[in-house]
Amino acid sequence: MEKVIIVTNNDMALEKFKDKHQVEFVDGKLLDVLYKVRDYIHKHHKLLTHPLMGSIKPNQTPYKSVALSLKKSDELDVDSLMYIEKSIETAENLIKNKPPREWPENVLYDFKVIDFDLIYNALNR
Amino acid sequence: MRLELGKIYIKDVQFGPETKVENGILFINKEELLKEVGGDERLKSIDVDIVHPGEEARIIPVKDVIEPRVKVEGPGGIFPGFISKVDTVGSGKTHVLKGAAVVTTGKIVGFQEGIIDMSGEGAKYTPFSKTHNVVMICEPVDNLPQHEHEEAVRMVGLKAATYLGKAGRNVTPDEVKVYETLPLLQQVAQYPNLPKVIYVYMLQSQGLLHDTYVYGVDAKKIIPTFIYPTEVFDGAIISGNCVSACDKNPTYVHMNHPIIEDLYERHGKDINFLGCVITNENVYLADKERSSNYTAKLVEFLGADAVIISEEGFGNPDADLVMNCYKIEEKGIKTVLVTDEYAGRDGSSQSLADSTPKGDAVVTAGNANEVIVLPPMKKVIGHPEAADVIAGGFAGSLRPDGSIEAEIQVITGATSEVGFGYLSAKTF
Repeated sequence: MEKVIIVTNNDMALEKFKDKHQVEFVDGKLLDVLYKVRDYIHKHHKLLTHPLMGSIKPNQTPYKSVALSLKKSDELDVDSLMYIEKSIETAENLIKNKPPREWPENVLYDFKVIDFDLIYNALNR
Repeated sequence: MRLELGKIYIKDVQFGPETKVENGILFINKEELLKEVGGDERLKSIDVDIVHPGEEARIIPVKDVIEPRVKVEGPGGIFPGFISKVDTVGSGKTHVLKGAAVVTTGKIVGFQEGIIDMSGEGAKYTPFSKTHNVVMICEPVDNLPQHEHEEAVRMVGLKAATYLGKAGRNVTPDEVKVYETLPLLQQVAQYPNLPKVIYVYMLQSQGLLHDTYVYGVDAKKIIPTFIYPTEVFDGAIISGNCVSACDKNPTYVHMNHPIIEDLYERHGKDINFLGCVITNENVYLADKERSSNYTAKLVEFLGADAVIISEEGFGNPDADLVMNCYKIEEKGIKTVLVTDEYAGRDGSSQSLADSTPKGDAVVTAGNANEVIVLPPMKKVIGHPEAADVIAGGFAGSLRPDGSIEAEIQVITGATSEVGFGYLSAKTF
């Protein structure tokens, strides 16, 4: 598929996508990824994948990868903005309700694998 | 398509010298069962245990629950595309061992969920505390990738249910239920004055541990299509969905689909149930657009007056649910949505990650953020240490006495988004 922007805080996604796509690695939390995605949308990049992909809740998995169009449109894509705003609202609510816990290394690895698999399948369908 | 479902009531399950059903008791030859499900080099060991309703027992982490069934008459066999060839199923006669279930457990990933308590507070939330459960405990070889592990455990469950189902082949059922859906034009003509209803059946299909299969095909690769409701009763839809225990649809729930059963109950009385449109839940936004466009087109083409739509999962699928609702309503067809909620501990937060003003008829299956304390159990099957890394738990949610404080989202089937559960809402 054509080159896209992937915003992620998952180093596995960075490693596997960096040669093919433009990866913006966020050294931060899941919400920092979503805020960065929102910045891109305001710069007229279009959202390609759902920011809340996967049934693992944003207060469970610490990792998130989101794909955006590399090309900028002339106008802001309102649908993209709606998706990211609703996703941020949902994530903020869940995190406020029950903050993420500390996970052991092996569990963090599994969260990375699932995050990577979901975005990989979406881009290579 | 006409299917006779012969239910054989199972009141107990025990190990015995021969696998058979006698006087309502399912006897299992343990060695033969293990031989039947064994042989996959990806699994280091497989063991089996049995737990009963009311027992002080906990199964954790549950991957899938499957009902033993056998095809007695008619084309094809149970679980087409996996166990049987891909002949079209859903007609003839099928026998069911009602009251027995196969439960698979395996530690596929480090964070865990999927609890079935056979007694106590937790038992009230899962329908699988009422079944006699044959638990398949699978241990992988070292360093087995998660994809392979999930597939191996899934196949053990399907093989075990098929093997046990065969014990009911020559048993006279205690109850026979007949379900019939005619080809479309005949079905429309049969009850010309009743409103025509389609069930839009959304399948979890996002990727690793988030998959569902239709006749063996990965549902993320389908475009929405028609399926006769009775095909589902013969295991045409299989769950490979291992996350979000409370609101995933285990294979057992697909086979006993409560929305389909309820629509049949009203069929010919106050509605004309035309059948099901299956569709998927995608990560890629363009795929969502395509699938929802296709679903709305198909529902209109089939001539529906009204549609029930259910989703499976949290977050992303809410967008598919809302798109399906909006686009079908735009065609002048009424919709009712079925979902669950993540509305915070007190239930007051926004429930879904998406919404539309057209979604004005919604049935909730419960709030997954509700907190519960599960008492310690005498017997724990599976991986007791998993209780400390429960995805819907808290840091230290496994207490020293063995009790667990967690959200009900860790309990298998607690907020089933097709209503295969016990929660309901009351207004005061």
